[in-house]
Amino acid sequence: MMPEISFNIDHGYLEGLLRGFKSGILKQADYLNLIQCETLDDLKLHLQSTDYGNFLANEPSPLTVSVIDDKLREKLVIEVEHMRNHALEPLSTFLDYVKYSYMIDNVILLITGTLHGRPIHELLPKCHPLGTFDQLAAINLANTSIMLYNAVLVDTPLAPYIKDCISAEDLDEMNVEIIRNTLYKSYLEDFYNFCKKQGGATADVMCEALAFDADRRAFIITINSFGTELSKDDRMKLYPRCGNLYPTGLKMLGECDDYEQVKAVADYYPQYKELFENSGSNPGEKTLEDKFFEHEVKLMKKAFMQQFQFGVFYAYIRLKEQENRNILWIGECVAQRHRAKIDSYIPIF
Amino acid sequence: MSMDALLRSEEMTLCQMFLQSEAAYACVSELGEIGLVQFRDLNPDVNAFQRKFVSEIRRCEEMERKLRFLEKEINKDGIPMLNTGDNPEAPAPREMIDLEATYEKLENEMKEVNSNSEALKRNFLELTELKHILRKTQTFFEETMQGYQDPSLSRSHYTEPTSKERNSTNLIVGFSLQTSQSDDQRSSTCISRFSDIVLFIRLKKNMNGDSVHKSVFIIFFQGEQLKSRIKKICEGYRATLYPCPETQAERREMAIGVMTRIEDLNTVLGQTQDHRHRVLVAAAKNIKVWSIKVRKIKAIYHTLNMFNLDVTQKCLIAECWCPVADLDRIQQALRSGTERSGSSVPSIINRMQTRMVPPTYNRCNKFTQGFQNIVDAYGVACYREVNPAPFTCITFPFLFAVMFGDMGHGAIMFLFALFLVLKEKQLQAKKIQNEIFSTFFGGRYIILLMGAFSIYTGLIYNDVFSKSLNLFGCQWVIPATDKAYDLAALEAADKIVVKPNGTFTGSSYPIGVDPIWSLASNKIAFTNSLKMKMSIILGIFQMFFGISLSYLNHRHFQKPLNIIFDFIPMVVFLFCMFGYLVILVFVKWLKYSSTSSQEPPSLLIVVVVVVVVVADYYYFCYCYYYCFLQQGFQSFLVVVAVLCVPWMMLGKPMYMRYMKRYGQVSVQNLLICLTHCFETKRCLWYSALLLNVLHEEFSEVLIHQVIHTIEFCLGCISHTASYLRLWALSLAHAQLSEVLWQMVLRIAFGFSRGWGAIALFIIFQVWAALTVMILVLMEGLSAFLHALRLHWVEFQSKFYDGSGHIFVPFSFNSIADASPDE
Repeated sequence: MMPEISFNIDHGYLEGLLRGFKSGILKQADYLNLIQCETLDDLKLHLQSTDYGNFLANEPSPLTVSVIDDKLREKLVIEVEHMRNHALEPLSTFLDYVKYSYMIDNVILLITGTLHGRPIHELLPKCHPLGTFDQLAAINLANTSIMLYNAVLVDTPLAPYIKDCISAEDLDEMNVEIIRNTLYKSYLEDFYNFCKKQGGATADVMCEALAFDADRRAFIITINSFGTELSKDDRMKLYPRCGNLYPTGLKMLGECDDYEQVKAVADYYPQYKELFENSGSNPGEKTLEDKFFEHEVKLMKKAFMQQFQFGVFYAYIRLKEQENRNILWIGECVAQRHRAKIDSYIPIF
Repeated sequence: MSMDALLRSEEMTLCQMFLQSEAAYACVSELGEIGLVQFRDLNPDVNAFQRKFVSEIRRCEEMERKLRFLEKEINKDGIPMLNTGDNPEAPAPREMIDLEATYEKLENEMKEVNSNSEALKRNFLELTELKHILRKTQTFFEETMQGYQDPSLSRSHYTEPTSKERNSTNLIVGFSLQTSQSDDQRSSTCISRFSDIVLFIRLKKNMNGDSVHKSVFIIFFQGEQLKSRIKKICEGYRATLYPCPETQAERREMAIGVMTRIEDLNTVLGQTQDHRHRVLVAAAKNIKVWSIKVRKIKAIYHTLNMFNLDVTQKCLIAECWCPVADLDRIQQALRSGTERSGSSVPSIINRMQTRMVPPTYNRCNKFTQGFQNIVDAYGVACYREVNPAPFTCITFPFLFAVMFGDMGHGAIMFLFALFLVLKEKQLQAKKIQNEIFSTFFGGRYIILLMGAFSIYTGLIYNDVFSKSLNLFGCQWVIPATDKAYDLAALEAADKIVVKPNGTFTGSSYPIGVDPIWSLASNKIAFTNSLKMKMSIILGIFQMFFGISLSYLNHRHFQKPLNIIFDFIPMVVFLFCMFGYLVILVFVKWLKYSSTSSQEPPSLLIVVVVVVVVVADYYYFCYCYYYCFLQQGFQSFLVVVAVLCVPWMMLGKPMYMRYMKRYGQVSVQNLLICLTHCFETKRCLWYSALLLNVLHEEFSEVLIHQVIHTIEFCLGCISHTASYLRLWALSLAHAQLSEVLWQMVLRIAFGFSRGWGAIALFIIFQVWAALTVMILVLMEGLSAFLHALRLHWVEFQSKFYDGSGHIFVPFSFNSIADASPDE
């Protein structure tokens, strides 16, 4: 009837906890301090005064960016796992859905890795811990997508997503890209439908967020496909059909041949028009990718405006990912003494 | 002066210190030991990592990390860490390098030992696995040889390979980590897609203290290209593969080799463990002292980071708050710090003039600390404001006891607190972390006094576990000659009314309530009347006292206006409304004796008549007045009380407005006074405050005063009513303990002789447990909270501002006590 009334019975604790986590997200003032750092140890010293606290205290100096990366990731994983362990239905399913995207990333990472002849035990630690599952290690068996399905994914939640692209062809780079995008497409659509089924504020917030994600994928697939042997029909099949672009926009995108045409499609959609207009690769301009990230941050911040819905969980994880990217960016700039671009992080609050 | 020291916070001064760069460290270390100065951060805008001594702090953090690592290793081995409780001085900066080297060496040694033993253990594990594999395969092959017809094996299509076949049949054996049966099956189905047979033998193994389920498996397959594939799968399922010789003789030989190697490894492992243990035991002796040292160094550098560098870069400039009375000790500390560092130039401390409000510092001992905490929990006193803590020391336990009046319960509480007080030193040394215990322990002196006062009020109420004591002899004597009380009359009557006229001896029970009341059916009515009046009296007195403390504040801060327009009307108002009531209570108590016990008028109605004009004037005149002219006097009081309201509300703003308009002279006087203050450099911050007053807007003052007046007038009534909680809680406590006696313990007295003893034994325990849990703990907590409220709201609101900030000196004591993760 009205899910808001009983929301707190099952999910109140976690929402409260999450909003607490959210207030620990670095503010603009913190970033201003961070970009003044001379060394990574300075970075550590400043992060100590924020919500991160002593998360680097047990690391011997000198620090490296990869150590910071691991620790940042570990912190997020601990938080998410804690919430997942305390979650009740349907929030637990929702959080599982969030994890599926990491699983897809891991599968693709390992396949590309093995294609390039890297040993599996070297690749496994690089996987995101939120997306690990038991069968992941057996992935180097997979020469074809059938094998991938049979040996690895059959028992995992990803199984239904891969059904669309099973073939006996040997895996090559092109195939992997197609598998990745098909998986993502099915995943996004599934997640979209799940959120829609939840109804209420969750549907409002999440459908908007996922629609944006779907549209972003469609744009990026189109732009990246220029100059490859991907046919327009195949490309069309990769577009997730749950965004604002569906159906007309996707049809138009499917016929694009160059960047200008993509831009022309975006012109029909005011929210995307703005992103395309202000982006560029010249110095001083932000790249399209950054523009998309900025828009995502804006959307995710908006998700916190509503209470009694699951969107905040998704939003928090996204924002935290963005924050980690920011810290790592600043960290890289500091470590490589390349300060010219240090302020092209994306502030959150 | 000494009176003032108790009443108000310490006089503070802002000082500037000039410390030679080389002496600064030693000086700050000395100051940390005495813990009397609070440093101001002179570079609040500078980032943590841009300060001067950031590299030293980083080194300290590195040392702390190493110490934490060592501590973790020591805990892992369960070696006790020696805590001698000694407090080493902060080491000199040059010693820091030695410390660093020591820790570095220890850490490296530890890491090396760890990695060695890790490798050895892994080796050991592999060999053990190999041993098991050999044993299992051995038994497997033997069984299949014998049990050729075994149905379970024939189903798996296994036939002992003939010598010809053997060449083409390969076999792989291995060990895989299994978390559950289903895992087993999943991997086996996966593998069996490619091979002929998979055989699992489940084993439970104990490794590194955790028990792990592992399985031995044997895979038979044909053809070389399958081999690589199976190997890949095994790798995917994190299984380890081992070589397995094909003939029995070879297997046996290998098994023997493995056994000897395992034994060798065992001795080596033992030696490494011994070495590790020795290193850790040596470290455990010093680790507490080391970590205190490092923490002190870190604190010193943190403090030094707050200082400014002088232009010549040769000395550091610090600003700090410190008590005026302790300037000598601080100077002494600076001198010894300078000497210790060997610097030739002395460190200088100067008093500074400032407009900043100094921090509030109340010197406390272990007795007053608890009461000061109660006051500070409400709000820290403004600088040099009257500190209610010394009065709270007595009024708090007393008001508590009024609500908790029972000699028995009071004694339990008193003895418990006495135990804590007597065992103080031992308990402190134990450093018990339990939150509930530390709350009780921190408030041990409060509890002690609360217990003692409860015994006293229990004596007044004549109440021990709801029973009365006849200590001094009851003063109600029933005369034997009186017909109304002879045996026949007593037997006939259900209830007997003891008339005070004939039975009361005339001299009262020496202290407290006469025990005869415990038998009376109108006991509650009697105690209610007593306790209600008493709580009103106590409340009014405490409020008067609070208001008179506000006089001390006004006088100290030199605010004559507040005395005329606040203090006096407050006193008058409170007296007219409730002071008169208190007088009536005493009159009633003194004027009527046992002989005139029917006559006294009801106080309630008198008070109603005071404020309400009643038509039937003569009737009330006749019945409810104590003396002639009372009616007129009462009307006078009401009029005065009503007049107090505009006096309080409008007096101050009107006066200030008038002075601003017409009283140029006096404003100038004020300014002269101010400049005088500046010149003589006395209480600068106070003159700043005066300046503020001068510039205050009329409307603001008026609004403030209106709010203040309404708050006070309504507060007078509601606070007086609020003091009735003294009676209510005391009644509740007495009733509850009586119920407990009647419903629980009395049952035991109803049994016949033999059973009675057993029943009493059991029931007494129930009663005692309930007494402690409900009456002492729960009721005690509730009375405590009510006493707290009476102090914070009813008492302190009359004079206490509580908007100061507390003095937080830089002290090693607080750093050493703090937990390491802070």
